[in-house]
Amino acid sequence: MVKVIVLVKQVYQSADLKVDRSTKSLVTQGVARVISETDKNAIEEAIKIKEKLGGKVTAISMGPPEAKEALREALAMGADESCLLTDPLFEGSDAHATANVLAAAITKIVDYDVILCGTYSEDLFAFQVGPRLAEICNLPQITYATGITLDGPKVTVERDLENEHQIVEGKLPCLISVTREINEPRLPTLMAIMAASKKPMNTWTAADLGLDKEEVGFNGSLVEVLRSAVSVGERKRIMLQGEVAETAPQLVKALLQEGVLKAS
Amino acid sequence: MSQENKGVWVFSELPTLAYELLGKGRTLADNLGTELVAVSIDGNTDGHDYIQRGADRVFLVNDPALTTFQVDSYADAITALVNENKPDVLLIGATRNGLEFAPRLAERLKTGCVTEATRLELDAEKKFVLLDRVTYGGNLTETHISRSKPQIATVAKGLFSPLQADPSRKGEVVKSNPTIKPSAVKILETKPKSAKGIRLTDASIIVSFGRGVRKKEDMAIIEEFAKTVGGAIGCSRPIAEDLHWMPVDQYVGLSGQKVNPKLYLAFGISGQIQHQTGIRGSRIIVAINNDPKAPIFETSDYGIVGDLYQVIPALTNAVKQLGKAQ
Repeated sequence: MVKVIVLVKQVYQSADLKVDRSTKSLVTQGVARVISETDKNAIEEAIKIKEKLGGKVTAISMGPPEAKEALREALAMGADESCLLTDPLFEGSDAHATANVLAAAITKIVDYDVILCGTYSEDLFAFQVGPRLAEICNLPQITYATGITLDGPKVTVERDLENEHQIVEGKLPCLISVTREINEPRLPTLMAIMAASKKPMNTWTAADLGLDKEEVGFNGSLVEVLRSAVSVGERKRIMLQGEVAETAPQLVKALLQEGVLKAS
Repeated sequence: MSQENKGVWVFSELPTLAYELLGKGRTLADNLGTELVAVSIDGNTDGHDYIQRGADRVFLVNDPALTTFQVDSYADAITALVNENKPDVLLIGATRNGLEFAPRLAERLKTGCVTEATRLELDAEKKFVLLDRVTYGGNLTETHISRSKPQIATVAKGLFSPLQADPSRKGEVVKSNPTIKPSAVKILETKPKSAKGIRLTDASIIVSFGRGVRKKEDMAIIEEFAKTVGGAIGCSRPIAEDLHWMPVDQYVGLSGQKVNPKLYLAFGISGQIQHQTGIRGSRIIVAINNDPKAPIFETSDYGIVGDLYQVIPALTNAVKQLGKAQ
């Protein structure tokens, strides 16, 4: 029997995000909200562990009330219960404040063996919440997992680093962050989707978690976003026109002049 | 509180990246009128290489428990040094190790951390560092500022230039022996990845291809061109993740490899924003695509609208002719 907590973040489908160059802002209208990609792998892995060893999977998400949809999807995939951490006070949380909220929920749940999460979130790519949460909860962290094997109090994890694959061994409880390569997340069946609506979904606010407004949201953050601007790539945008017999040598010549190509 | 924190520190377990951080750190330290410090943990240096590349002081942590990177014991080592010396800024190399280490350390120190900063600049009062980072699939660039010190940031390979090694530079090497708890995680096995040719993040020329290549066998024209220009081969995400023609380590983009070559050639890649974000650090970008409306042309320096099956062999030929002409 293994009790797994899995952390889920709802994000805008990143491939569909665009910026409005006139208002210089992100266009989110009509963009679907989905589970951040590596978090989906974490849910799949949690369910696989449960299927193999028995136990319980609890999915947790901090976010706006809409994040309920992400949790419902986790339940449809096979999680047993879920907690939505939502409160207007949580708005503007940086990685530290987010980890504070998640840690409070995990402390409230008390009984768990392993926390799974994605290595990064698809929208911010900060790689921060997992390690920060592990530090607050005083847990070992094992990151970049491509394989997880639980064996009693022990866990063996295959890790994917830049230049090497590692196999490491840790003890439970611990926090493990997973990569996209670890598994192929399942698509829930229609039956599972319908059954999910009957599974428990708790909603916890700052007050439920015993959190003060100074510990969360904008006030509880350690980093502030001063401004955000539309990313611009300043490029020459020179288009070479004509027949291939002309444009190919022209391009090679231009690259030589730029000093980025050498005659072989 | 902030008046107490002094010094710009750099740390990376990868020496070449530490040198790049020293290059940027030197400018920051000079503008702040403070010292530049390098921290070395794995016992692989006597510290003088750091001094030659700009450090005023080097902390050498020597502990048998620290010869291999372990996030918890490395956090113990740096926490001890930070608490004792109270640096103002700490730059950490954004390797995978660095990326899991920086937020863990920052949480222990209860301070802010900005990961994968692309630009670092002092604010008008020279009190805090303004840090840019790219978010939302590459659509936005956010400017962050830390409310606490030390201000921690991770910086990727290839963004800043190292200083020339100057053997006459003087500096101080300080040995440190902080108390380290053994790591909670045991490394059982390490298998080096089979390195086929040049790593993308080290390559000065990257020849990258996407769905414009119709069959796996057709990769031969890409390979031929790459061989001719001495480039490493990269690809777009679908080529690695959906078609499995290339290993996942070879795809370029926000969630894949972020590269900074001198020359990046995108053959038959439409250039979604995620891909564009992965190549933003390139000095020159070339795009070849048969669709004149492909977004890749918006962020390229040179573009040719055409059939890559004709253009690439012509380019290979043009480069080969050049070799003969000299």
